[in-house]
Amino acid sequence: MRRSTACRSFHETSRHRRLLLKAGGMGLLGLTMPKLMQGAAASERVQKIAPRAKNVIFLFQFGGPSHVDMFDMKPDAPSAYRSPHGRISTRMAGMEINEHLPEVAQVMDEFTVIRSMHHTMKNHNSAAYYALSGHAPPSDDQRLRDTPDLYPAYGSVVDCLAPSTDPALPTFVSYPHTIADGSRTPGQHASFLGKRHDPLFIPRDPNKTNFQLPELSLPEDLSLDRLQQRRGLQQLIDQQSQLLDHAAEAKGLNDYYAKALSMLHSPRVRQAFDLSQEPASLRERYGRTTYGQGCLLARRLVEAGVKFTTVYFSRSIGGRSKTDGGWDTHGFDNTRMFPIIESYHLPITDQTLPTLITDLKMRGLLDETLVLWMGEFGRTPKINKNVSRDHWPQCYSVLLAGGGVKRGYIYGASDAKGEHPAEDPVTPEDLAATIYYLLGIDPNAMIIDTQDRPLPISSGKPILDIIA
Amino acid sequence: MRLLIVSTFLCLIGIVSASETISFRHDVMAVLSKGGCNNGGCHGNAHGRGSLRLSLRGEFPDEDLLALTQSNASRLLRIDAPEKSTLLQKPTLQIGHEGEKRFEVGSLEYETLRQWIAQGAAADPDDAPTLTSLEVTPATCVVEAPTDHFQIHVSALFSDGTRRNVSRWAVYEPSELNVSIDAHGRVEALRPGETTITVRYLHLQAPVQAAFIPARADFAWIAPAPVNAIDRAVFAKLKRLRMNPSPRCDDATFIRRVSLDLLGLLPTAVEARAFVADPHPHKRAALVESMLARPAFATRWALKWSDLLRNEEKALDEKGVRVFHEWIRSAMAANEPLDAFARDLVTTLGSTYEAPPANYYRALRDPTLRAEATAQLFLGTRLQCARCHRHPYERWTQDDYYQFAAVFDGLGYEILENERRDRLDKNQFIGEQIVKVGMERELKDPRTGEPPAAALLPIPGMPLPESDPAALDTLATWMTAPENPLFAKVQANRVWFQLMGRGVVDPVDDFRSTNPPINPDLLKVLERELIVSGFNLRHLIRLITASHTYQASAHPTASNAQDERNFSHTIARRLDAEVLLDAIHQVLGTQPTFSDVDSPLRAGELPGVESIHRNRKPKPDEHFLKLFGRPARQLNSDLERSNGTSLAQVFEMMSGRTLHRLLSQEGNALTTMLASELSPEDMITALYWSTLTRAPSPRECEAALAHLQAAPNQRSGLEDLTWALLNAHAFLLRN
Repeated sequence: MRRSTACRSFHETSRHRRLLLKAGGMGLLGLTMPKLMQGAAASERVQKIAPRAKNVIFLFQFGGPSHVDMFDMKPDAPSAYRSPHGRISTRMAGMEINEHLPEVAQVMDEFTVIRSMHHTMKNHNSAAYYALSGHAPPSDDQRLRDTPDLYPAYGSVVDCLAPSTDPALPTFVSYPHTIADGSRTPGQHASFLGKRHDPLFIPRDPNKTNFQLPELSLPEDLSLDRLQQRRGLQQLIDQQSQLLDHAAEAKGLNDYYAKALSMLHSPRVRQAFDLSQEPASLRERYGRTTYGQGCLLARRLVEAGVKFTTVYFSRSIGGRSKTDGGWDTHGFDNTRMFPIIESYHLPITDQTLPTLITDLKMRGLLDETLVLWMGEFGRTPKINKNVSRDHWPQCYSVLLAGGGVKRGYIYGASDAKGEHPAEDPVTPEDLAATIYYLLGIDPNAMIIDTQDRPLPISSGKPILDIIA
Repeated sequence: MRLLIVSTFLCLIGIVSASETISFRHDVMAVLSKGGCNNGGCHGNAHGRGSLRLSLRGEFPDEDLLALTQSNASRLLRIDAPEKSTLLQKPTLQIGHEGEKRFEVGSLEYETLRQWIAQGAAADPDDAPTLTSLEVTPATCVVEAPTDHFQIHVSALFSDGTRRNVSRWAVYEPSELNVSIDAHGRVEALRPGETTITVRYLHLQAPVQAAFIPARADFAWIAPAPVNAIDRAVFAKLKRLRMNPSPRCDDATFIRRVSLDLLGLLPTAVEARAFVADPHPHKRAALVESMLARPAFATRWALKWSDLLRNEEKALDEKGVRVFHEWIRSAMAANEPLDAFARDLVTTLGSTYEAPPANYYRALRDPTLRAEATAQLFLGTRLQCARCHRHPYERWTQDDYYQFAAVFDGLGYEILENERRDRLDKNQFIGEQIVKVGMERELKDPRTGEPPAAALLPIPGMPLPESDPAALDTLATWMTAPENPLFAKVQANRVWFQLMGRGVVDPVDDFRSTNPPINPDLLKVLERELIVSGFNLRHLIRLITASHTYQASAHPTASNAQDERNFSHTIARRLDAEVLLDAIHQVLGTQPTFSDVDSPLRAGELPGVESIHRNRKPKPDEHFLKLFGRPARQLNSDLERSNGTSLAQVFEMMSGRTLHRLLSQEGNALTTMLASELSPEDMITALYWSTLTRAPSPRECEAALAHLQAAPNQRSGLEDLTWALLNAHAFLLRN
């Protein structure tokens, strides 16, 4: 069997580099790097970028929240553009946000808001892939296919280049949905990095009373004790075959069995996923919703040491319902955007997001945890004939908190109507580079695709100005 | 001319004299490559780095000259004060440089750049000689301990007939990390092993294959007599490397191995015990012969080719997938020669329902995809890099790429109906299509905006045909010709890869001068056998399975334990997803269930992938196949199938839905066994044979008996034992 070589560049070059330095007085200068390892110099720099963030919580808002109705309101725009919602001031000087977000206003001073995000993908799947991977999709396709030549999710890259050191813990966890718009949205898994870098994906609702990690819940008639006995028999058979002595593949399997059993035995891992250990009052504050409990779970996972947690706000682009779904509020079929977000999206955001920020902060975790709140694009600054808004990738806003970014800071600006960046435009590539940079990973580090091509994990530039 | 000679001489002794003229193309460009400045991770990045963008690995010297001389950062070159140029200050870290120090002040690199700037940072004269070829010696080198190094010599030949020693200026890139190479091309072993060093100077490159062999003072060549030419080639290399091949595997291992490889099936206990007991001296060959005649053999290769040919429902629809799979299966059953098979695929036009091979093109919706797939599948050539820039490790240029793509331009589809379920999904087609040529041309060379002229790939040693390169018949004849240096090798190598788990060229679809075969003689044998047999798949498989090399044990010898690539012993590898699932069902006497399948099918018989990869909740067997790496068939690549192990797979085997459900299912093989007259010892023996194709050792038998006695009931005890057998390395791995 072929071993994944996708991450070889990082691990082996640092070792190789040490060997090189030892090998000759000329150091790097006279010596050369292996061909797949153009990231050689890059991986050296990895150690030089001091990590600001240990963990990331990525709150992905599928469907596309409206920038001009939330964090980039335009009170002076013509009425055809202006949000029908009022504004309230926040704890960030000069920052006004939607009146339906009073609790968010109370923690606004924790955030950096980027108001000049932009790209050109108008379809959900292409734009969401862009947001989840930091790489431009090959085409702007409503049903962009999830193929193994597309880039991996951020978390999979982190798992490849800077995995958790704790063997019992996954590096990358995602839940509770696989997002799709007609076809599965790319950018949610490891793609060409290989299955071992896929997220630990939990297709379960953390708001259900019996929520548990499926892998940690054994079938009824299989006790841990019985499993241990089975393992004993298995080990006896494996001794007989002697494959463990000389077959790399057998060693790999054996390590995974040991890890799986240690996860099953570890109270720490089990507890990380056990929301019933949280006080009822805190669970209420997060909100007894799938999203609310998902954010609470994210905090528990950060405490346990999971490095990258992605929480999907919704399974679908939604936008037509007051009880579920994403942010895609076009006003089709006599639905209307503003009543919908007033009664669903904004209240749920106002309950959960500030609670997460406050909770992380109280526990001293916010400084080392980057919270990223974003959708795949914004919404048309001009209100459409359905009194709603359509897709708008040309300009939108992103929120970041903790993990070494500035507190109470606005980066970039949109023009008078919120249609285009007016200052410091930021691309998803730049944001990707910033996330990696904050984690102490060189944004130009290389990963290897199925064609053995070395590809940079990001082609953007970190936004150094937002780093505290 | 005189200057060039002077420069050659001075370079050799490592001095740059103030009087010589520095050539931008030959000297400055060499410095930029040698320093790594134009690598993809540095200024050769598509966006450059800092304010400087260079062409990737110096592909476009003219552009690089412009980038250096017309840079906005006016301090990059200071002709008035060369030492103050940032081009010199940054790489020597006199001022901050993200890319760290690349060379020292006063080094040859430094002096070359400094003088070029001092001389006016000029382009070369129009009539300057050009680089025509590179001579790299040695091409291969076997170094035996205690010697631990050798020297690479690189000569550049120019259009004016001059020759220059450029060992100091070539870039050396080893494929493995067991060597270090200094600036002058001296290769030193860090540990024993083989490596291929790509030697690059300006736009030319050549490989050096090196092997460092440990001393092994007590080494004595011990090997069985070679069975055929395969063994002769493999043994010759092993002997050079001072490694002995492992002995032949036992009969039980052999039947398990060929059954999994040729049929995708575990041998039943009855088959295996009969084979082991058979005293006939030629029983192994007879077994292979009987397997080659079984329908499961054709089905196994239909699965392989369905993976490679994107046989999936979104583009081909369910009927298309079925007829395409059936066509491939029939071709394999009829032993259609592989050249004729390939010809059918690349030339068949017409209805995708009536003329199944037309689905090859139905799945590839634009000319560049067709060109990339055809090159990769049939010529082992990865063209993708050349879409955007010259292939960094190969000869292919963007011209080659677009001209070859133009061969497939004008191919198109008459869509008789499209009942797509999702009208917004333009990748989905449901209904009959007619594949046609002479349709509207769509391809444009992005550099010119013009449609490129069609041309076949300029493969060295293969003359281009005189007939119309855009005719698919011309393509097929040229591509599958026995004298095509790639086609037969690529097909033979793929068959070898399927049986051995590693290509002679590896990765199996990446043939290029800088990725040479690990054993060229072996590849020649396989190629020749395929050609003289008339591209006969079964002939090649007979030959391979008869060889000692194929039959070698997975237990290493004292000298070959470190070897993973010279076929000295069998390397254990995980079973394919379908093979594993079918093996589990076979052991437990159960049937997998798949959506949209009328008659009971094994996983290995499934024609398409939709039931596994569609976007809804899969059945447990479907989930299992996806988890264990059944590909979605979107790449035309042997490597799309991933047999890598993951934690999720181990959880699935340990406590997941599939295995647990099957183990405890009433009416499965354990139920039958418990209802039989078998003694506990016989049950244990039967289970060992049906899972691991061997009898239990006395110690295993004792432990299993003890477990059955201690278990709350016999059923649960048997379930535990079966679980242990199905989770054993020897079950999950083919060895």
